[in-house]
Amino acid sequence: MSSISVNQQARPRGGMARIFSHPKVAVGGAMVLLFICVAVFAPWLAPNDPNAQDLLATLLPPAWAADGMAQYPLGTDSLGRCVLSRLIYGSRIALIVAVAAATGTMLLGTTLAILAGYLRGGFDRATSFIVVLWMAFPPVVFSMMLMVGLGTGVRNVILAVILVDWTRFYRVVRAEVIVARQREYVQAARLLGFSHLRVMLREVLPGVAPLIITLFSLQMGVAIIVEAILSFVGLSVPSNVVAWGVMLADGRDQIYQAGWNLLAPVCGIVFAVLAFNLLSDGLRVVLDPRLRKRGGE
Amino acid sequence: MASYAALLGRKLGTVFLTALLLSIVVFIVLRIIPSDPLAMMLPPSATQADIDFIRKELGLDGSIFQQYLVWLGNALQGDLGASIYFRTPVLELLKTALPPTLELVLVSLVMALAISIPGGVLLYKLERRKGEMVADFALVFLLSVPSFLWGIILIIVLGVVYPILPFMGRIDPSFSVDTITGFLLIDTLLQGQWRAWFDAFQHLILPALALALSFSPIIVRVLRSSLLDTAAAQYVNVARLRGQSEWRVLVHHMLKNAALPTLTLIGVQFGFLFGGTLLIELIFSFPGIGNLMVQAIKNFDLPLIQGVALVFCLMVLVVNFCVDGLYAVLDPRLRTA
Repeated sequence: MSSISVNQQARPRGGMARIFSHPKVAVGGAMVLLFICVAVFAPWLAPNDPNAQDLLATLLPPAWAADGMAQYPLGTDSLGRCVLSRLIYGSRIALIVAVAAATGTMLLGTTLAILAGYLRGGFDRATSFIVVLWMAFPPVVFSMMLMVGLGTGVRNVILAVILVDWTRFYRVVRAEVIVARQREYVQAARLLGFSHLRVMLREVLPGVAPLIITLFSLQMGVAIIVEAILSFVGLSVPSNVVAWGVMLADGRDQIYQAGWNLLAPVCGIVFAVLAFNLLSDGLRVVLDPRLRKRGGE
Repeated sequence: MASYAALLGRKLGTVFLTALLLSIVVFIVLRIIPSDPLAMMLPPSATQADIDFIRKELGLDGSIFQQYLVWLGNALQGDLGASIYFRTPVLELLKTALPPTLELVLVSLVMALAISIPGGVLLYKLERRKGEMVADFALVFLLSVPSFLWGIILIIVLGVVYPILPFMGRIDPSFSVDTITGFLLIDTLLQGQWRAWFDAFQHLILPALALALSFSPIIVRVLRSSLLDTAAAQYVNVARLRGQSEWRVLVHHMLKNAALPTLTLIGVQFGFLFGGTLLIELIFSFPGIGNLMVQAIKNFDLPLIQGVALVFCLMVLVVNFCVDGLYAVLDPRLRTA
């Protein structure tokens, strides 16, 4: 992937400085930081209580429009709730799901991938076969089905994302582990009499770590989209919790009167997903120069 | 050629086996359900005898294993049970809902190719040039917008603010088209209803475009990197040395070879396109299987969820099978491999 200029400047410099000098990492990283700050400091940033209804001021346009009110910078929804405050609070669910689901996906997918790729044999065949089955499910169909089985709620959304998406880590990491186990340093470690567990953790895992970091960032974006989809359909959060997907579902009924009610959560979701995708894309190039020429997944 | 047929035969066998195992997965996932689907369909006054009767009627009695065998036996005879919510056979619902979805997906696939082939070539041409950085950021941006958000954006812009295109349903209710194939674009032509055809086509544009816009950046990405790979190949240099124009080299030599990995990707990612129909059909009130699935889930309609989920899986398997077959046709090396 792209950006030749960075590699031409690859002089010996501090590791961190080098990583963040890549434009995608810099922009993506800054956006991620902003997203995290908004989510963490939501109570201080939001001008209003996100659930407080002002029934005398419903469907107000943004403050800069002719009949907007300064009290509601992005206007209000059909129940007179502050759109900006809901946008800010909505980032919290998105961040929680992104972090928890990506962590779980990474742990499950990577563990199985390293075991399968390193040990091969029956375990590899069995897990790889499950992956083939999993790949036949459109992810959205599968996650919705799981939500029916597990019941609604944020915790189950996280669980559903993990159970659906671990295959992404598995496929990519396993392929890399199969290559890594043929390398001399892994062979040497085995000859030195290290146990399989130690070889996996100390020799193989560090080799695939850059890949895992890249996938982790990508997975956070995916998790945000899945949560938005599930809360849009009403399978995610209870009604008193603000989520971007809920805002979309609420706003859809007033699409003719108040389109801005929909634009706010659309922008929120795209911003957060773009942040993680940019970071992931940049990290892929910076952390592993070999991947520069490879495109796609 | 015989080995090729045998290869496809083996693959077909795998498709069936996979479908069978998937039906088990679907069955188990739906049986860990915490709430009892019966509780929602029976009046509070129902007696234990009523409950037992309905339970048996719906095949919800006995262990999961027994339930599965009963269900499988019926399914193999073409009976997928009856929808709890719609009170109609699941198969009937699927028969009417599948053609609209196939129509939508096929149109959006055509749109996605129309966007991504020029897009991939453009990005390849921009490689190592000034515009590269901009194009690269734009590509990541496009990859970050899921199809249902495109749907909402398109509705706001082209349906509400500038009301150019319709965004509700498949066709204006004032047209009456008899169902022959279920594909409106074909049925209207067969009946010579040109205005209805145009109306149905207009209704398809926004939902299909929403799906295509989220699918094409994925294709663009692979097409660009495959083009970069072929650019280094000897046959491309040879073609240039023979004095062929850049355009001819691109179309006849590079794109043809770059088509193979792109085709594989489309096959692998087809589930993504199909999955997108769930929310797109919901947002555009489009009467396909995606919408049916969402309704079924909202109503905890187990037989229907099961049926629709399996149809989704079957579609993905069939598409992968077709891509494998097509791949072997396009690449002679694979026929003997």
